[in-house]
Amino acid sequence: MSLIEYDAIVIGAGVAGLTAGTLLAEKGKKVAIVTAGEPTACLSTGCIDFCSNMDNPEEAIAALPAHHPFHLVTKTQIHEAFYDFKRRMAGAGLSYTGDTNRNRHVLSAIGTFKTTCLTPETMQASPQNEQENIHIITFSGLKDFYPGYIISRLKNASFSTYDAGISTTMGLASLFEDENFLETFLLWMEKQNIRENKIAFPAVLGLESASAVKKTIEHRLERPVFEIPTIPPSMPGRRLFNCLKDGFRRAGGVIYWDWQATGAEKSGRLIEAVITGSHGRPNSLNAKAFILAAGSFVGGGLRAGHSNIVENIFDLPVFTPGKREEWFEQDYFSVNHRIGRAGIIVDESFRPVEGPWDNLYACGAILAHVEALKNGCGHGFALATGRAAAESLLEAGR
Amino acid sequence: MKFEHCIRCTICVENCPVFRVNPSFPGPKQAGPDAERFRSEKDKTVDHWVMLCSQCKRCDMACPCGVEPAQIILRAQQRYGSEHPRSAAHLLFANNFYLSRLGSVTAPLANRFAGAGIGKKILRRAGITTYIPFPEFSFKTMKKQTKAAGRGSRKVAFFYGCFINFYRPDIGARIIRLLESLNIDVAVPPQWCCGLPALGNGNLDLARYFARKNVASLSDYVDAGYDIVYSCTSCGLCLLNDYQGIMEIPRAKKIAQNAYDLHEYILRLIVEKDIRPAFGEVARCVAYHIPCHLRALKIGYPAAELMKMIPALECHLLDDACCGLSGSYGFKKTNEETAVQLGRRAVSLIRKTGAGSVVSDCGSCRMQLGGLSGMDALDPAEIICESLGIDVKGKKPAAR
Repeated sequence: MSLIEYDAIVIGAGVAGLTAGTLLAEKGKKVAIVTAGEPTACLSTGCIDFCSNMDNPEEAIAALPAHHPFHLVTKTQIHEAFYDFKRRMAGAGLSYTGDTNRNRHVLSAIGTFKTTCLTPETMQASPQNEQENIHIITFSGLKDFYPGYIISRLKNASFSTYDAGISTTMGLASLFEDENFLETFLLWMEKQNIRENKIAFPAVLGLESASAVKKTIEHRLERPVFEIPTIPPSMPGRRLFNCLKDGFRRAGGVIYWDWQATGAEKSGRLIEAVITGSHGRPNSLNAKAFILAAGSFVGGGLRAGHSNIVENIFDLPVFTPGKREEWFEQDYFSVNHRIGRAGIIVDESFRPVEGPWDNLYACGAILAHVEALKNGCGHGFALATGRAAAESLLEAGR
Repeated sequence: MKFEHCIRCTICVENCPVFRVNPSFPGPKQAGPDAERFRSEKDKTVDHWVMLCSQCKRCDMACPCGVEPAQIILRAQQRYGSEHPRSAAHLLFANNFYLSRLGSVTAPLANRFAGAGIGKKILRRAGITTYIPFPEFSFKTMKKQTKAAGRGSRKVAFFYGCFINFYRPDIGARIIRLLESLNIDVAVPPQWCCGLPALGNGNLDLARYFARKNVASLSDYVDAGYDIVYSCTSCGLCLLNDYQGIMEIPRAKKIAQNAYDLHEYILRLIVEKDIRPAFGEVARCVAYHIPCHLRALKIGYPAAELMKMIPALECHLLDDACCGLSGSYGFKKTNEETAVQLGRRAVSLIRKTGAGSVVSDCGSCRMQLGGLSGMDALDPAEIICESLGIDVKGKKPAAR
């Protein structure tokens, strides 16, 4: 028995878990999120893909295979998840742009275009084709960001390099939030005589106040500025996580960090508590209902052994796509690896089928048949199913 | 110590307060799992930058793969400390317990020394910073009381920690009154420094010496039916994790199984309906700065739950920033700039809440945040005492 009994405990602090938790907290529920660490969302570009394998995400979702769990979410729920997210992020000072019926492009660090649905304000001006006229600013020693790649693909692009004395995205983001640095940097920029219509930066324009930093630069140089997502440490991914996390907290939710759920206490058809490892007394947390949003393999919700795939907390049945030798394609970069279909199968109320539990729900990347890479439906799917699972829990009167 | 589980995702780096402001520190990924692959038993260590880690444990908490970079770095720090001559500041702070004892016995003199120009000069010469005033030694320290008197429903052995003992025994006295007012009998067992300052300054042997003495003393109390209650979250984390972990102290598990954070203990009794404290109004607006080591205890934020029960109290919870002082870390000249920058960040978050005072469980967080902001910095126990009408002199209110 834990100190506090929660109405609901969400396992996982990623996009799905935080969305579900925030909705429940806003509806007056006493909610806790337990998480083994910070989510893979921190490593992302911060863009929200609903379904990016076609120009129109709504049509793309409708065209997904019949067993895809996106079909468990109604069109209304997708819209609500979409607008709720936009409203929450705008409230947190990080506006997102996009429509549910049209995908957009974001320029990548190798000069290709990523297709996505919602982009953060700092990427809004990202070029939509290869003809656009852009000037890229990079920083001496910055690892894994080489404008040469971009220029080889975009013929009307050029770049210049600024020596900030720091060569990491984290360090640069810190500098951009220092007014003195920003002023020195802007004076340097003004001397560059940039002729191109738009100015691009690796995504390092601050962590807490990126929108404001972007606006300041735009104002001084009188043209649109946009960020190009980097590999981790990815500032846009972290901004997304921070805003979702703060929103959950503001709604009254509690987060238990470094709290890797290792098992559950069960009684009849109910889960009563989740358990974590401890140096002393057993450490458990009780709740009336649970939402499993622990992610798939990288997030830690699923674990692949030599011949089987398991879910470790509740020991739920896991859909496994054939024998091990069928899990992977020969081509490493293929988006069709069948392992992407592994996961938990849920019914229309987001409860695991075949599992005997009445008060357990699952959402996000841990669900079976998602194939997030192939369908381009990572964060958007997490938003929609996180919301739907929470609504299902509320409807059941838990 | 699972460095091979690292997938190099850099989430630890993003959470490292030191990395954010000090480019000389390569961050927990490089200093931890990356460098661990190259640490050989045969060669003398050269990774001097491991000493720049403040052991806030934020990387351990953020890692999605259970790697625990801070634990890897802590071990590297012990090794570096044992193979290289220690600076004066490291030696002094490792022996904080003895030094403070001296300071307390000679309190009026020691305080005048630490506050005066010449004293500050000498401290700086020894590599100790003076950007916030050194805490004042208290001449009176905690009085030992080997047996709990009274007929309360429970018996508690109070592990007060060096901060309360040498600088703020008044808070210690109030905590004892608070427990007594809740029908709990309190003993103050013989105890030593928990060992964390020695560990943090690379002196594992001294840390083990303290730990063994504490375990010997406290386990007698556990055997006699006492629950151990600590109020300093860093001492608590050390008792619970480091004694069994890096220090490998026999019988430490018994201590961990029976030790409680003060607020966790009170909350538990309330939830189990053993006690019903009648919380009175506290018309304050406070910013509750969560110490990094409270987060690492994995018990949630029990003092926040208690403060929610106090009528009229407005409490803003902040757990994203490290105060930067990290015990003796920020008092070292080499870390001053890091500590000040992190402290200012934490203070700016506190100011944004519009709170009138800072609350934090950790004495060193309070020292830093109070010192840099000029605001009152209180222990949550002080707010709870205020709510229950337990006054400064520790007068016992009517039994409830």
